Amino acid sequence: MITTLFTMIRREIQEHKLAFIYAPFIVALVLCLVIISVYLGLTDIQTTTFNFSTELYDEEFQEDMLQATPESKTAVIRSGLTVLGLPILLTVGFGLLAYSLSTFADERKDRSLIFWRSLPVSDLTTVMSKLIFVVIVIPLLVVPNLFLLQLISLLSVSFYFVSNDIVPFGYVWTSYFISDWFRIIFSLWAQALWSLPILLWLMLAGTYFKKPVIGAIVPLVALVVLEGIIFKANNIQEFIENRLGFWSRSDSFPIEYAEARVVDISDIYLLLTTQAFWIGILASVVLIAGIVYTRSTNNDYTVE
Amino acid sequence: MGNEIVIKANGVKKKYDDSLALDGIDLEVISGQILGFIGPNGAGKSTFLQSVLGLINTEGNLEVLGLDPRKDRHKLLKEVCYITDVAVLPKWMTVNQVLQYVNGVHPSFNLEKCLTILSRTNIKRSSKVRVLSRGMMVQLHLSIVMAIDAKLLVLDEPTLGLDLVYRKEFYSQLIEDYYDGDKTILISTHQVEEIEGVLSDAVFMNQGRVVLHDSIESINKKFLELRPNQDFIEKAKSLRPIHQRLELGREVLLFEDTEMDKLSNLGEVRPPFIADLFMAIMDKTKKEIEA
Repeated sequence: MITTLFTMIRREIQEHKLAFIYAPFIVALVLCLVIISVYLGLTDIQTTTFNFSTELYDEEFQEDMLQATPESKTAVIRSGLTVLGLPILLTVGFGLLAYSLSTFADERKDRSLIFWRSLPVSDLTTVMSKLIFVVIVIPLLVVPNLFLLQLISLLSVSFYFVSNDIVPFGYVWTSYFISDWFRIIFSLWAQALWSLPILLWLMLAGTYFKKPVIGAIVPLVALVVLEGIIFKANNIQEFIENRLGFWSRSDSFPIEYAEARVVDISDIYLLLTTQAFWIGILASVVLIAGIVYTRSTNNDYTVE
Repeated sequence: MGNEIVIKANGVKKKYDDSLALDGIDLEVISGQILGFIGPNGAGKSTFLQSVLGLINTEGNLEVLGLDPRKDRHKLLKEVCYITDVAVLPKWMTVNQVLQYVNGVHPSFNLEKCLTILSRTNIKRSSKVRVLSRGMMVQLHLSIVMAIDAKLLVLDEPTLGLDLVYRKEFYSQLIEDYYDGDKTILISTHQVEEIEGVLSDAVFMNQGRVVLHDSIESINKKFLELRPNQDFIEKAKSLRPIHQRLELGREVLLFEDTEMDKLSNLGEVRPPFIADLFMAIMDKTKKEIEA
């Protein structure tokens, strides 16, 4: 069983290395180049909502840095690194949505489903292998890119501080902990579980509909409209919006996040105590059963 | 293994919308048989083979190697291999990745044996499946299947779209390198003449029903084809052939359960080709229905 699952997950990695290995790595490399360029003074990024340039480190900022407590230093560093990593997370997020929609549709389209089903692997095992890939493996494939980005960012800013006599080289490193990597991994796993109902719905659409994109969207839109007309409510719409966003920022999560606060490891335990999380898990179990049933009974390979 | 029942079908039915794809199939397949499913398009051959593999739901009783194919499909597929009419190997994979995958999920797959078989072909392990010709894809699929120690092999139009050389190679490899007398092979194909020498048994199907199921040995004893000399045509016809046709202007009569001695004095006698027998049986069935 373990060998079978390992083989199937390896197959998923082989098939989707572009979306989950190359694309995040390229985005991370581009971000690293941008960061290095900014600290070398070659460029800066200034928009109405986002400012990333060395002009940030004016005298007032330097004063604040020297007076900052270890906790506030850690919070600012975590927050900055989280913002910098967002493009990587968004790239993977879009990749995940595309993967979920296509993973069962593509095997019908090219009829490789007949080959996969000619081997002694149950439909449940196949679906579970894809779940493990989505929930556990993809976050693990993403984090090295986040860590690379963090290291390059911290090295760049440290060299900038030293070369401009602002603070010593070790200033930021004393507030950066390797244990933070586990916080990020657990947070991504929690995110995958949080968004799982949406991802599984897309997978179900891929196993059943001739036009999976339309099949995935139209029933949801219809439900949202019907709920609005009949019950004058928008619970379904809120559910979808919440699940597409970060779990820590959802309406269902009991903590209001301040600007500079990022997810803490204790927040993940808190998430597990929310009703919304378990409703999502329950919906996921129902959707998994639907996918297994549809994959094993649908002999229509026409996919457009 | 000897005479173990591999497939037992009783009243197997499959309905698609308003049409009956299988209309009460009763069939018993014994180990060691090489069974040809012969019939026109829409006869129900592929539907039956798919039901044997647990790929579709059917009514009635169906047991394959003592298992219910629908409920125990993944258990069954440890003992059963399958090649279909289309190139279904995942095209994004390399040959090596396909082999690694099968090796990882199939407990009866022998990777070394597969590599030995593949080394006799022009297929490179680093090639993507999508760049292989159709013939090479079937060769690759056959190499995989031949390296699996399975009890039952199901081939549904396996050589469709292949040229004559590949088709001949496919069947000779199948018989010489794969078949060991214990394994059971089910073949469905339109190119009946190419598998005729390979089959031990034949099943004729039409409109979802089995119209004939017998061993080739028995068929050759039971049915005889007579090309009567010009002087004996009327006498031959009086022996009540089940079918008659013209071949290059010459009468050809098909007899069922008629003694060889009675016919040999009237002209040239030999067992019919399976394709000719099939056409005759179809024609006879059609006339009986019309009558």
